[in-house]
Amino acid sequence: MTTKLFGERVLRAEDPRLVTGNGRYLDDLGHDALEVAFVRSPHAHARVVDIDVTEALDVDGLVAIYTYDDLLADSEDHGTRVAEPLPLLIPHPTLTHGRTQHALARDEVNYVGEAVVMVVAGTRYAAEDAAERIRVDYDFLPAVVGIEAARTAAHLVHDDVPGNVAARMVQETGDADAAIDAAPHSLELELSIERSASMPMEGKGVLASWDADDESLTVHTSTQTSTSVRQAVAAKLALPVDRVDVVTPDVGGGFGVKIVHPWPEEVLVPWAALRLGRPVKWTEDRREHFVSSAHERAQLHQVRVGYDDDGRLLGLSVRVWHYHDAYIPYGLIVPIITSTQLLGPYKPGVYRVEFESLYTNTVIVTPYRGAGRPQGCFVMERTMDAIAADLGLDRSVVRERNFIQPGEMPFDQGLVFQDGRPLIYDSGDFPASLDKLRKLVGWDDFEAYREVARAAGRRVGIGIACYVEGTGVGPYEGGHIRVETDGTVVVSTGLTTQGQGHQTMLAQIVGDELGVPFERIRVTTGDTRRFKYAVGTFASRTAVMSGSAVALTARTVREKALRIAAQALEASVEDLEIVDGDVRVKGTAPGQQGAHIDLGAVAVLSNPLRYAFDEAARRATQFAAPADPDKPPVEAGEHPGLEGTDFYSPTRSTFANGMHAVIVETDPDTADVKVLRYCVVHDCGTLINPMIVEGQIHGGVAQGVGGALYERMEYDASGQLLNASFMDFLMPYASEVPEVEIDHLVTPSPLNPLGVKGAGEAGVIPGSAAIAAAIEDAEGIPIRRMPISPSELFHLRQTHGQDPA
Amino acid sequence: MKISGTSTLTADRAAVYRALNDPAVLVATIPGCRRLEALGEDAYKMTVAAGVGSIKGVYDGEVRLTDHVEPSRFTLKAQGAGAPGTIGADVLVTLEEDGGRTVLSYEADAVVGGMIGGVGQRMLTGVSKKMADEFFRNVDAVLSGAAPSALGGAEPAVPQPAAGTAPGSVFTAPAAAAPAGAQPGFVVGVAVGAAAALVGAIVGGWIASRRRG
Repeated sequence: MTTKLFGERVLRAEDPRLVTGNGRYLDDLGHDALEVAFVRSPHAHARVVDIDVTEALDVDGLVAIYTYDDLLADSEDHGTRVAEPLPLLIPHPTLTHGRTQHALARDEVNYVGEAVVMVVAGTRYAAEDAAERIRVDYDFLPAVVGIEAARTAAHLVHDDVPGNVAARMVQETGDADAAIDAAPHSLELELSIERSASMPMEGKGVLASWDADDESLTVHTSTQTSTSVRQAVAAKLALPVDRVDVVTPDVGGGFGVKIVHPWPEEVLVPWAALRLGRPVKWTEDRREHFVSSAHERAQLHQVRVGYDDDGRLLGLSVRVWHYHDAYIPYGLIVPIITSTQLLGPYKPGVYRVEFESLYTNTVIVTPYRGAGRPQGCFVMERTMDAIAADLGLDRSVVRERNFIQPGEMPFDQGLVFQDGRPLIYDSGDFPASLDKLRKLVGWDDFEAYREVARAAGRRVGIGIACYVEGTGVGPYEGGHIRVETDGTVVVSTGLTTQGQGHQTMLAQIVGDELGVPFERIRVTTGDTRRFKYAVGTFASRTAVMSGSAVALTARTVREKALRIAAQALEASVEDLEIVDGDVRVKGTAPGQQGAHIDLGAVAVLSNPLRYAFDEAARRATQFAAPADPDKPPVEAGEHPGLEGTDFYSPTRSTFANGMHAVIVETDPDTADVKVLRYCVVHDCGTLINPMIVEGQIHGGVAQGVGGALYERMEYDASGQLLNASFMDFLMPYASEVPEVEIDHLVTPSPLNPLGVKGAGEAGVIPGSAAIAAAIEDAEGIPIRRMPISPSELFHLRQTHGQDPA
Repeated sequence: MKISGTSTLTADRAAVYRALNDPAVLVATIPGCRRLEALGEDAYKMTVAAGVGSIKGVYDGEVRLTDHVEPSRFTLKAQGAGAPGTIGADVLVTLEEDGGRTVLSYEADAVVGGMIGGVGQRMLTGVSKKMADEFFRNVDAVLSGAAPSALGGAEPAVPQPAAGTAPGSVFTAPAAAAPAGAQPGFVVGVAVGAAAALVGAIVGGWIASRRRG
């Protein structure tokens, strides 16, 4: 038998290459390319008055200096669209005041870090030297920084956007206010979450080469969507899409920030390569990533909830103020996700949610792993804990009473999700998950543990948080599989990979479907030369979308292989099986003469030949075997080659879920917070590779802990980011990330052929909610804002009348 | 692409006008100018080494002076081409007296092609202005006598007893006597003009910058 691959802890095929330093990241490419540096705005809000490049001209190796005027001239001279604002990628009817930036600032800058001048030189050193000598004169405008400034709108970010409001959206399932007013109990909460960011170890980067003879452009970019970058670059540069290819090399992390496209640099670098006729490269440095890529998370929430004596929700009304900041290229995806996924595994009674998406003069907000869900989860789980506290009930019991039951699946929440489709949960067994979690963390034994700790002068607390995550959003992904004549199986899918182990996971699927050993499978992602139709890697969708697509593709290739083998073996298709890459008649011994043919030979036969270019090819030539003289060598409806392409397009997202429990200890003196245990029960449906899933959970938890206790973007009142370096922006190290204890619950998705649900983002979602709950439990002080630092906890203690110990 | 600027020269208008129409002065003062050949009345052929990086090269061009209103104005039409690209420019030069000094103004309308056209407007205009400034400084040094050797060193390479502007007269830049600031390699413009000087300005275009070391 072929070794079973699906569901096994197969070691990642990528790792020997990546962990020995043999990855090929963007900056490993294009050593002969010209290099780019940008002059970026040092001001949060200003008009560009003048740009003086005189002093830069003496820099040795300088090649070109571009400003917005050059983009404008180019559009007039060449019909390009480089001078237009960058696209608003996801329009929405309620997004009435969408504004996006120009690739280079036209006359106004709206955040520190906005690109104003592009310098091209022989080396990055020269480009940086020249950029440093360019003088830009600004007229300052009042900077709108922070929640209050945006809401009060004393000053506007964009003159033509009243109130700094890009969009206002309401979703409701009935009259929530009436339901709350009529409820036996009600309470209100004001909550907020601070900014953080994806912060991949590798920033963005672009390398572009124009082949003037072939009239073709090749772009390498560190992106989460090569196919859409391709479309965008072609559109911007007025090139036929056919003349543009985008290749994603190894990517050192994305976490959402690289799904945004085209970044200004993804337009400008290819454009410069086109105009200069030479390869041009830009590699983002760390400060650039901090100030000019994207952040997420910052939101303010007001909650009103009504509930009965048992803690069951009767009505829930939430208002969300979301800060998308200077521009809104990615539309309303983050606040839509917050406002819908907030509901988690619960039935909210009557629900109403309203959000405003606001402009400020800080760098844009676009999805970061979790994409609005951590905020929504924080809101709902803080509400659950508040209800439990109000009624004096066990926090897990209040949750349990509000769960959607397994028998109620599929469950329609009555809202519209981020993909424009109904928010219908397809699967999950929330009571079973909670039972697992309580056992895993020892929920029922915790009070005894608390007493022991208290006797020893220690403060400990426990918290839980539950989430439901829509994953695998459409519209589609595809796969192409070709069996080479040596039996190698080449798999391509169009979405990109950033280190998640996609090659391994997809090879496991194809290996089982096709009956081929893992080692014989080669997987390519994110290369439009290989596969041109794809959407991208986001929303925990690769396993669901590309996994399903390559499974379907493998099935068609398998059918074709069996058809050809059946002819060659003079057997019927039903009697054949594929084992270890060998098609054989069932019940015969491996290698039995005349009863088997390996897939490589089937591939040879699939492609009728005139010329025997090698030994294997002889079998497919015209005199090799008798053929039916009345049939064409390639029959109608067939294609040469043992290959196939198929696509998977679901009607709607599939919903994964999970629950986290955290035990923390807070220092009575310093208010330092230490995570003692972190337990996860996770349901992503059928597991393709439990090791990879657990790795995803570990990474997510690390980011969740970071977002709860350490990470924030410290902007001052004038819009300067004060902690734009790894010296100042705290990310958790291994020393801060707890050991993660994981238990899986498998409720397969009925929506896709593999029964899988996404796992990429899950680990991060309940972090702030669960840790806030645990700190609240340890301290007896309501925690309403996250992240929380020891200083903030210390001051909270003082505010609540606790003397420093 | 429009380029304009002014420069004040420490000589009267007639002297400036004459200098700008003297090929021996021009070849010594146009930054990067290697060779200047008179093609006839008010027409010159010139070779300028200019550029840096991707547009570095030797450019050959022609300059014609028209619409003379001596000593107050003239127009200079320049065209140049080199491996990195092409430049064409019309430059209006006006001279005004200012208490024994001359205020020179130029307005150029340049069209660039090839690689040169791809390096950015501000860079082109920046280089052009810088070259023009350098050119005028050089001319001013000659006029004020600070750089006498410039004139003396620029002898016609082909004996031409008549006026230096006779067709076929060839002027080459003195190898060792270039005025300060006119290091070869800083480019410029092309065009220049004959007279005018403007040269640098004019043309605007070549970009250049110098290689260190």
